[in-house]
Amino acid sequence: MDNPLAGAAANRRSFLSLLGLGAIAVAGSGTLVACGEKAADEGTTQQLDKLQAVLPKYQPLELVQPDIKGVSPVANGFTKYPSSLVDAITEKPGRGSTITTMTPYWGQVPAGPGQNAYLDAINAELGAVVTPGIQDGNTYADKLNAILPARDIPDVLCIPGWEISKIPNFSEAAKALFEDLTDHLAGDKVKPYQMLASLPTVAWSNAVWNERLMAVPWPTDGPYPWALFYRKDLVDAAGVAIPKTAQELYDFGKKMTNPGKGVWAFNDVQAMVEMIFRVPNSKDGWGSKNGKVQFKYETDEFKAALEFMAKLYKDGLIHPEVVASKGADAKLLFSGGKIAMIQDGVGAWLGMQAEQQKVTAGFNMQPVPFFAADGGAPLVWGSPDPVFYTFVKKGLGKEKTEEILRILNFVASPLGTKEFELIEYGVEGKHFTKGADGWPAGTDLQGKEKADQFRFIAGTAPTIKYDARVPNYVTDLINWENAAVKHLEVDPWLGMKLEMPAEYVKVKQPTEDKVKDIARGRRPLSDLDVVLKEWRDGGGEVGRAHLAKALSDAGR
Amino acid sequence: MTVVTPAMRSRRRRAQRPAWEEPPTIAGRIGKGVLLTAVVLAVLIPMWSVIVTSFSSQKAIADAGGMVFLPRDFDISAYVLIFTRGEVSQAVWNSMFVTVVGTTLSVLCTVLAAYGLSRPGSLWHRPLLMFFLITFLIGPGLVPTYVVVTSLGLKDSHWALILPAAVNAFNLMVVRQFFMGIPAELLDSARIDGAGEWTILTRIVLPLSKAVVAVVGLFYAVGYWNIYFNAVLYLNDADDRVVQQVLQAYIIAGQSPAGIGSPPALGFNAPPSLAVKMAVVVVVLIPVVAVYPFIQRHFTKGVITGALKG
Repeated sequence: MDNPLAGAAANRRSFLSLLGLGAIAVAGSGTLVACGEKAADEGTTQQLDKLQAVLPKYQPLELVQPDIKGVSPVANGFTKYPSSLVDAITEKPGRGSTITTMTPYWGQVPAGPGQNAYLDAINAELGAVVTPGIQDGNTYADKLNAILPARDIPDVLCIPGWEISKIPNFSEAAKALFEDLTDHLAGDKVKPYQMLASLPTVAWSNAVWNERLMAVPWPTDGPYPWALFYRKDLVDAAGVAIPKTAQELYDFGKKMTNPGKGVWAFNDVQAMVEMIFRVPNSKDGWGSKNGKVQFKYETDEFKAALEFMAKLYKDGLIHPEVVASKGADAKLLFSGGKIAMIQDGVGAWLGMQAEQQKVTAGFNMQPVPFFAADGGAPLVWGSPDPVFYTFVKKGLGKEKTEEILRILNFVASPLGTKEFELIEYGVEGKHFTKGADGWPAGTDLQGKEKADQFRFIAGTAPTIKYDARVPNYVTDLINWENAAVKHLEVDPWLGMKLEMPAEYVKVKQPTEDKVKDIARGRRPLSDLDVVLKEWRDGGGEVGRAHLAKALSDAGR
Repeated sequence: MTVVTPAMRSRRRRAQRPAWEEPPTIAGRIGKGVLLTAVVLAVLIPMWSVIVTSFSSQKAIADAGGMVFLPRDFDISAYVLIFTRGEVSQAVWNSMFVTVVGTTLSVLCTVLAAYGLSRPGSLWHRPLLMFFLITFLIGPGLVPTYVVVTSLGLKDSHWALILPAAVNAFNLMVVRQFFMGIPAELLDSARIDGAGEWTILTRIVLPLSKAVVAVVGLFYAVGYWNIYFNAVLYLNDADDRVVQQVLQAYIIAGQSPAGIGSPPALGFNAPPSLAVKMAVVVVVLIPVVAVYPFIQRHFTKGVITGALKG
């Protein structure tokens, strides 16, 4: 086997810096990084508009006309399955190589090649032996913390965006470990990879580190991180209106909470309450007011939101299991009718509706349209950042790197192609059958063998697909998302890729925990000033200086 | 002359005895009973709830809003599901292999090392003792351990879970202290009778040390059965996974990472019901619950011995 330390001795500095990368994430210490390169330790800023030269040239590929148009950045919706599919890639992309991958997954891991008909069918089409290494999505960061500093990485590595932002010095790691894809994909060089060229430019622009194109992005199909969902069936039955102001939200809580029946109004709705009070959230909680860079904790809006949250906790409107335990399953309480309104990711909607309607007749969860505390125009948080990034191991050689890119190109084929159907649903008759509506419906074998082994190494141009279990889902989702686009927060740092200083990254989580204590009444509201001072001294000011400099350098 | 009455004698005896040797008062006995009942209930109620939930239908779980305490129906579909999918039974076998082979190897190495280190004057006695003791103070760290394990070619092998932690310094010290407590005269007399070190260890020391070996064996076995983090690091193949990984996968299945932009397309499979999750918990618990009563007798004795002398 390859020695994972090969080459490390030749560059002690970058090795130590990589060690620091793991050590910082685990222990929150910056000592080791000091031995490495200085720049990343202090944070980096790339002005993306200056990096156009390294980005692939966008070539839209609309094989199927959408049934519901999404207002950019909302994805298009498809309610009808294409009657005929295009064979978009006729030549086998693989050259018979064995290619190892690592992707996260939140569920059971299926068998590998040779024992998995889904994998074998795709590998036969690819002309390569892709061997997936599927890892538990919740402990993915732990695994990364071991394999990145040890330089023991697979040929193709998927890293979720939210994990990257937790790793200080990531640009150093990227330089040392991953293939620079600029020379393969920049500008017109992307032409042989037609599917990759159809991915949105905004997604590609985030895949740049050290001013080089380092990854293939997995574009987001919806910009909103959070939604408030309510049990429409229960709320309508109780004759309560859905809220349009903060006061109405509180009144809703009062009316729906009934401890005698075991029903409470909310789970922890902190993020949504902040949004309702128009707290800024660019670059994870920053905003710029009158030319002054402010973190959310420093704003009056945040103080008001925190006060409101503390009141919800104090008046017992939040389910006691959520109050008592970090691990409380709010989804379960919501689906069992014990919580009337829940803050969750938009992704919770389809799965929960599809499953729970089988158990509870009339189960109907709907998102609350975005609103502001005073009833005026809401501020909606959102980000066009990609969900995942796919990196190719450095040093595989030109031929194998190109083979991998061709495979990623195959996987990125959009709806309307045979390739998409194979990756998304498997083999007809085995992994899916087509229902009366024409859409593929998964079989038990699909549930057993498919764990997005391929989907997570390359996304397609964003689409929202019909789901027979919840026929109105596409329409409901896109209408709700489209309505909020005009209220999306304007990011003062739009077009810049920022890697925050290690000192700032370190202080973030402890401060969030302290703020949580205040919201839950474990510390008085007046302690916010103390927490703020500790945050400023502990690294907050370093973060502010970094962001302020980025703005002034860009002349904004 | 003072007449000593039986009451006075009883009082004097009481004064000479320590308080804990007194026969307990009625209030004390009731208090003890209540406390022990509370402890037993604190252990049994969650277990009861896990078992009842694993045999409940999805409707009963939804109505209860989570864990079920009072059985409303009896549904074995969760068990049928996990055993037809196959990964739970495969993982149970893998964990059994790791536990049995790992525990045997660990106990063997620990006993041999402890015997050597319990004999002052044995070869490199002091440096070797320091070598083991130093691991109490300095941990190897995640990355160096990972590099060593992968460099030795142990990745994707169950040996990666066994070899790096085959000997635990704490267990070694407990066994060593126990061996040192065996009278030297006993061993000397065996030597006079012509016994070698191997005979002394197997025929004299080990038969006298059943309790400590049992308790250390149990420590190792529970450790191997519960191994999770190293399995996450070193095992990539689905067929190699151990029970704790499968349990974790069932527990977290369907929990999309909160707050990310576009989960609808992520294609999370429908999460297993709570009944399925709890059924996996029951399956994972069975071996531990089944083995524990047989070792419990030694366990108490071994722990007390270790605590007094170690």
